[in-house]
Amino acid sequence: MKLLGRPPAWLAMSLAAAVLVSMLVFFYARTQRNDALNYVEHVAMLRHLKQLDAQWELDVLKSKIGLNAHYDPLAGSLVEMIALLNGIESDLGAEQHGQVAGVAEGVAALRRAIDEKAALVERFKSNNAVLRNSLAFLPTAEQDVRQSLGRLGVHESAAAERMSENVNKLLLASMLYSQSASDEHAADIQSGLRELDTDKLLLRPETMDRLDIFGAHVRTVLREQRGVNELLGLISAVPTAARVEEIQNVLSAEQQRVADLSRQYLGYLLVFSALLLGLFLYAAARLIRSHAVINRVNKKLHSANETLEQRVEERTQELRQVQSDLLATARQAGMAEIATNVLHNVGNVLNSVNVSAGLVGASVRSSKILGLTRAVQMLNEHADDLASFMTLDTKGKMLPGYLTQLSQVLLAEQQSILNELTSMTKSVDHIKEIIATQQAYAGTASLMEPARIEELVEDALRMNAVALARHQVTVEKEFAPVPVLPLDKGRILQILVNLIGNAKQAMEVATDRTHRLTLSVGMVRGHTLRVAVADTGVGIPPENLVRVFAHGFTTKEDGHGFGLHSAAVAAREMGGALTAHSNGPGTGAVFVLELPAGAAQKTEETT
Amino acid sequence: MDPQKARCTGVEKGARAMAAVPRLSLRCGLLVAMAAWVPTPAFSAPLDEPIQPIPLSLKQDPARAEIGRSLFHDPRLSINNRVSCASCHDLKKGGADGRDHSLGMDGKPTDVNTPTVLNSAFNFRQFWNGRSPSLEDQVDHVVRNPTEMGSKWDEIIRRVAGDPKYKSAFAAAYKDGVTQVNIQSALATYERTLITPNARFDKYLRGDVNAISAAEKAGYAKFKQYGCVACHQGVNVGGNMFQKFGIMGDYFGKRGNPTEADLGRYLVTRVEADRHVFKVPSLRNVALTAPYFHDASAKTLEDAVDVMFRYQLGRVASKEDKEAIVRFLHTLTGELDAKP
Repeated sequence: MKLLGRPPAWLAMSLAAAVLVSMLVFFYARTQRNDALNYVEHVAMLRHLKQLDAQWELDVLKSKIGLNAHYDPLAGSLVEMIALLNGIESDLGAEQHGQVAGVAEGVAALRRAIDEKAALVERFKSNNAVLRNSLAFLPTAEQDVRQSLGRLGVHESAAAERMSENVNKLLLASMLYSQSASDEHAADIQSGLRELDTDKLLLRPETMDRLDIFGAHVRTVLREQRGVNELLGLISAVPTAARVEEIQNVLSAEQQRVADLSRQYLGYLLVFSALLLGLFLYAAARLIRSHAVINRVNKKLHSANETLEQRVEERTQELRQVQSDLLATARQAGMAEIATNVLHNVGNVLNSVNVSAGLVGASVRSSKILGLTRAVQMLNEHADDLASFMTLDTKGKMLPGYLTQLSQVLLAEQQSILNELTSMTKSVDHIKEIIATQQAYAGTASLMEPARIEELVEDALRMNAVALARHQVTVEKEFAPVPVLPLDKGRILQILVNLIGNAKQAMEVATDRTHRLTLSVGMVRGHTLRVAVADTGVGIPPENLVRVFAHGFTTKEDGHGFGLHSAAVAAREMGGALTAHSNGPGTGAVFVLELPAGAAQKTEETT
Repeated sequence: MDPQKARCTGVEKGARAMAAVPRLSLRCGLLVAMAAWVPTPAFSAPLDEPIQPIPLSLKQDPARAEIGRSLFHDPRLSINNRVSCASCHDLKKGGADGRDHSLGMDGKPTDVNTPTVLNSAFNFRQFWNGRSPSLEDQVDHVVRNPTEMGSKWDEIIRRVAGDPKYKSAFAAAYKDGVTQVNIQSALATYERTLITPNARFDKYLRGDVNAISAAEKAGYAKFKQYGCVACHQGVNVGGNMFQKFGIMGDYFGKRGNPTEADLGRYLVTRVEADRHVFKVPSLRNVALTAPYFHDASAKTLEDAVDVMFRYQLGRVASKEDKEAIVRFLHTLTGELDAKP
């Protein structure tokens, strides 16, 4: 359930994250693109343009009042302004792609205004130069006229005086007119000029020329002053600044729009960022939570593991304890079995000893030794006439025969006793041997010593010899040559005694056939010692073949189920194995003990 | 030159002047913004005179100027391969050819006397009637003028692009190689190197009081006193305004034989006030560029000064004063640094 539920959740989250990120990138790109307007730069350029325009006008005024020594600034300003305007136009044209329609028109209008203003300024320059020259020259011209008039004859002096006064007035009027070009002054100048024109006819040509020059310059002042004033008015009326402001307004409106848009995008950015952050936080929380769960489970598992290990350890310990207890028990049981066997055998042998002793006793008690004694007495009674007695006396005549018979009986008797005594000695030796064997094996824990397996088999047989004999068991030995091997004699003997005992018991039950115990010894596969104990007993049903080695398994009424188990354990302790084979009930059984003998291969002795 | 660059260099001039302002490596736009409140300094000449000395160099791109130099001397700009710019603007003859009317590609005389190419960079407009606002534009007028070069841009571009030397030089100096704009630019760039600094009078203006003689100084005083300087002022001693020829007298009536060219700026604007209005010519190297006026009517400086007094100043002057002025005019001859 959880496994199925998870992937879609993660998928949805990654999808949401991807969508949010792409939105963020999109809006970020949008805000970046809007920055390309270079609003600040263009506003700065426009402001500079406006500044130049103002400077231009200022230079015009300075030229008007003679503060500018030359007209280069007037030309220079225009060049700079045109360059700036071209820059703005190409910038905006390249960047906006007609996005801001008002700008192109604004720039065009500004260009028209600047061109118009430039034309006016050109005319102003021309007019102003002429005007200023004439104004500057007027006093000199007036002086020239008056000097010329001063050289006139006396009869002309009245007219000359009037003329001089008139010229002076004209000069003054012109100066005033140059200060404030009022119509009143203009009218004054006009009437003064008319008077001069009528009066000059009286003058000499030289003076007339000078007066003409003066008049020409006064007219020039009159004309150019008006022109200059008009031009100044027109120049200041050209709406260049207004045009610049219009462009600025368009730009700032556009900038405002873009800024609003940017703010909007920024808002979106913020929202999507927040969403993304939320998503991340959620994912992080999930991650942390699952991490915690994993940790907890891990910890639990770990502690469970530890407990389990501990318990396994404990159990193993217990098992080991039980095992070793069992082993000890088995060992003791085995030892007890051996002891029982020993005692049994000893008892059996003692029986024969007893029988022999009884036979010897009976034989001695019924000895014909008394007959000899009576014969000897008769001989003693007839010691003096022994010969007669022997020949004559009836009794005496029978005596040699009797003695012969007696000696024969006594000889047989002695022979019988001797036999019994031999048997007894043998039995005693047997007992001694049994006990010695028992002593040899008892208490040896695990001692590997070079031994011949045949001897061990013989020992085991000997321990069971009496019982085997009693049950008329035929023992067959099939001993292949086996080298001297390092063997745990105690354990092997215990196993063999057990196996032989088992075989004997199995055959004891099966009374309907001859009992044969076959003991075979040999090496198999080169390095394994194999000892087989085959019997012709009741056999083992297949279902019990495995169980026979289990602890507590027995088929005997008085069995404790230790024997084969401990034998198998002992075989395993020696690195070998004990296996049982049987073709079923009534077919006998074979127990095979296999022991590793690889290390002993060097001792190449053979029997 | 692209406008952005032009803007920046123009502003940096102002920025360099403010020693106190920390040098900021900012974008051009900000420099422009700063320039809005930094006053643009006037020419810093030692003497505050109506005439200003010519700067020693206008700092042009040498590669482009070199292309322009080749083009300037290249007759292939004319349709019949007979005249180059240098045919009329002989640098050895003060940037003009000394003829009353130069001969065009077919040997026909041009409408007006050839003005010098020297210092034309300082003219506020080009041609006698000021019909061209820039040197680049001026090129267009000349090469297409049927009398002068009679060519077409297609043909010129074909010829220039067909010359491997031009082709590689243009490719190196211009992003887009041989184009009309770039040919105009190269020629204008070269023309901006044709300036004549270090005239004796400029040295005087720069503070060398012994660069001109006392008589010449007196001539300059007369030049100012009589009002010549009202129009002939600035760096180029003229060339920065229009003026009516005959403002104080009817020059053309007196001269006779009116031509269309006499209409001057009227031909450009068709405004009545512009009849007989011409660009005030520069007096730089004026001693080398006879004959004078658009109609080449004055063969000597003295003649020209006479005409000016009569029709422009409306004044009479003594012979000595005029001679003094002519003496002064000779101090305006400068040095041409550029390769001819």
